[in-house]
Amino acid sequence: MINKDKLERVLKRVEKPARYIGMEQNSIAKNLDKVKVKFTFSYPDIYEVGMSHLGLHILYNLINSEKDFACERVFAPWVDMEEEMRRESLPLFTLENKEEVSNFDFLGFTLQYEMSYTNILNILDLSGIPLYSKDRDDTHPFIIAGGPCAYNPEPIADFIDFFVIGEAEELILEILNIYKEMKDTSWDRESFLKKIMKLKGVYVPKFYHVEYKEDGTIKEMNPIIEGMPEKIEKAFIEDVENMYVQDKIIVPFIETIHDRVVLEVFRGCTKGCRFCQAGMLYRPIREKSPENLMKTAKELVKSTGYDDISLSSLSTCDYSQLQFLIKNLIDEYKDERVGVSLPSLRLDSLSIDILKEIERVRKTGLTFAPEAGTQRLRDVINKGITEEDLKTAVGYAFKEGWSRVKLYFMIGLPTETDKDLLGIKEMAYDVKDIFFNRPKEEIRGNFRVTLSASCFVPKPFTPFQWVAQDSIEEFRRKSFLIKDSIKDKKIVFNYHNSELSYMEAIFARGDRRLSKLIHRAYKSGCKLDGWSEHFKFYTWIEAMEELNIDGDFYARRERELDEIFPWDFIDPGVNKKYLIREYKKAIKEETTEDCRITCNACGIEDCSMRGAIN
Amino acid sequence: MNLRVKFNKKNYLKYISHLDTMRLFERAFKRAGIPVEFSQGFNPHPKFSIASPISLGLESEGEYMDIELNEEMSPEEFKSKLNQVLPKDMQILEARYSEDKKTIAALITWAKYSIEIKQENDINPEKIKESLLDWIKKDEIIIERLRKKKKKKVLKRENISDLIDGFKILNIDKNIVEVEVLLKTGSVKNLRPFDFVKALMRDNHLEGGLDLVEMKREKLLIGDKLEIF
Repeated sequence: MINKDKLERVLKRVEKPARYIGMEQNSIAKNLDKVKVKFTFSYPDIYEVGMSHLGLHILYNLINSEKDFACERVFAPWVDMEEEMRRESLPLFTLENKEEVSNFDFLGFTLQYEMSYTNILNILDLSGIPLYSKDRDDTHPFIIAGGPCAYNPEPIADFIDFFVIGEAEELILEILNIYKEMKDTSWDRESFLKKIMKLKGVYVPKFYHVEYKEDGTIKEMNPIIEGMPEKIEKAFIEDVENMYVQDKIIVPFIETIHDRVVLEVFRGCTKGCRFCQAGMLYRPIREKSPENLMKTAKELVKSTGYDDISLSSLSTCDYSQLQFLIKNLIDEYKDERVGVSLPSLRLDSLSIDILKEIERVRKTGLTFAPEAGTQRLRDVINKGITEEDLKTAVGYAFKEGWSRVKLYFMIGLPTETDKDLLGIKEMAYDVKDIFFNRPKEEIRGNFRVTLSASCFVPKPFTPFQWVAQDSIEEFRRKSFLIKDSIKDKKIVFNYHNSELSYMEAIFARGDRRLSKLIHRAYKSGCKLDGWSEHFKFYTWIEAMEELNIDGDFYARRERELDEIFPWDFIDPGVNKKYLIREYKKAIKEETTEDCRITCNACGIEDCSMRGAIN
Repeated sequence: MNLRVKFNKKNYLKYISHLDTMRLFERAFKRAGIPVEFSQGFNPHPKFSIASPISLGLESEGEYMDIELNEEMSPEEFKSKLNQVLPKDMQILEARYSEDKKTIAALITWAKYSIEIKQENDINPEKIKESLLDWIKKDEIIIERLRKKKKKKVLKRENISDLIDGFKILNIDKNIVEVEVLLKTGSVKNLRPFDFVKALMRDNHLEGGLDLVEMKREKLLIGDKLEIF
């Protein structure tokens, strides 16, 4: 346990000390002397961000449900707390028992976005754990990582002892059980890694060797030990209906991003949008039954006291029994004033009916994601919605009393022209016309449309993984093109930092040679990169120059179809042939149907969705 | 029906803010099935209020809230149901129905604080005691506060000597000063404990920052320094 007096003094000097005290409703502090395996879960960002991550709540409760295991949490301290901790020599500690992170058996990071990697190094440093995997010994915790970015683990392969690729629930318990058996015998790091390496979904970087060609691309990647798989298959939960689901979640004291019950409705997605990595990685689609969801909702509302249930999935509105589920949830909870919310809506009148249902408890915002401004470009990215859909949906919504709409777009998409960009502006103006072209008596509320445009980042395992990202100058030009074309106060246009997106693109398709870049940038002061006030673009650029690393090689280079990628050694289910097919169709502006309608032979063999509608 | 409730706030929970506390209770009411009345209108919220919210960083032995119930519930049931779902460091101590037209927030006049100031360098207990006893008798103890003047925030000098009462020295040693004091609190005039301690340390040559100070609110008082319950 850390020095509590020091902690008290430090807490009096920092902003939002409640970030560091733990003790929340439903947090679990076991007696660490009585458990056999001690696991620390870390979302590498600050408390308020990390606590909104559903994966944390699932794994936290799953691991703690085993008598012999304990799971505690640690997040990145904010800058003021870090300064105090370093000054007072206070090591990083878990929230539950205020125990030093370095005293745990495992420290697990969830990789949700690439620009959190420097935070991982900072957390290791503050815990007194060597940053590089090769420098650790049997006295140090195993540093492990999972989550969506683990599907291209290579940029941080030198820092992580092993990765868990795919859906971790069952796999993590297996790993901890193996450790539990081993630690009572004479064991060492190497033999443990060799044992778990054979499990489906586990990747131990040090057992693989990468060779590069003259041009900098990959020549080959091979296991260096006998018996190691050449391809790593992702871990996967087949039966989501009967899988573990938590009946309690920690309720933070302070305000976090999602102060609500988050209900996972299904995993996977059938829409096949070509820019979307998650839609490709989490196939095949697996739905939970409404009965199952109602039961989970009941337990979570009871144990938290939250007043909102968010139905969270990749495209929630495609849940086959959505209306039934929502109606039941509203009926059940409206007297308690517990509402339901959806992350974004499909563009059809069904969504509006659902919104009306939701409104019986609390009015919710209207959010749609057209992603591109013209039908042509939407066809390229396979986002199958039309202008008609948008007009009908908002028309209906305005009639029912809504007056504010949020529309999400991306700029920098493949084959994009200025005409497509101006299409965004035109869509906004069309929406405004629909609102105001009505008899005066019908018009209620303060109209506003908010446009949000993020910068497209090509991601591994998508049909666009061969594409070059737009340059920073292009992104800027395009953002201003749209911004300057809007001359209406009722239309708000927000755009994102293209420099951050450039860095994201480098790491998204990066290889092992980038670990020294992350290390150098971190040592030069980069951390909390996801926070605009702390993102130091020029420090990153300097680090790249010092190390002779060309960022454009990773972000701005169009790939050949036969290039070997750093992530090719992973098998996520969908195969490269399918991705190439989709890429070629994209260039020809051809769409692909939802897999619920026809099977598109993506490579997944055991798919429950095949022809589900037919 | 208005229920007047006394609760405490201890240990690490001193670091959660007033808004955090409100949210905590809102959720606790839900979990415990307390029949709290909701306001009307666009965004209904539960009708309850906490009197004179305590500053962040202070423990309390007795905070008060008024809560409006829409169904009869015995204070005992209220207390036991809520205490089961509340953290052990924030518990309901007492609950009573109140016929008062005014909310408890409007009735508060004074608050009693116990204050502990640690010193890193040794002090002379006798000298400090003398200094404190002289200081507390002064007609003028000035603090500077940012106040809104028209649209700007201006630094205003204020005399707080009338807002202090019942000052008692509990213990002085070479590294610690422990005192007890009543500070004017409430909607009419309010002296914040941190402002008081800053002035005390400044005028009595006690070194260091507020991180050396531990403060606890012992009681809230109404009217002519009367206890509530």
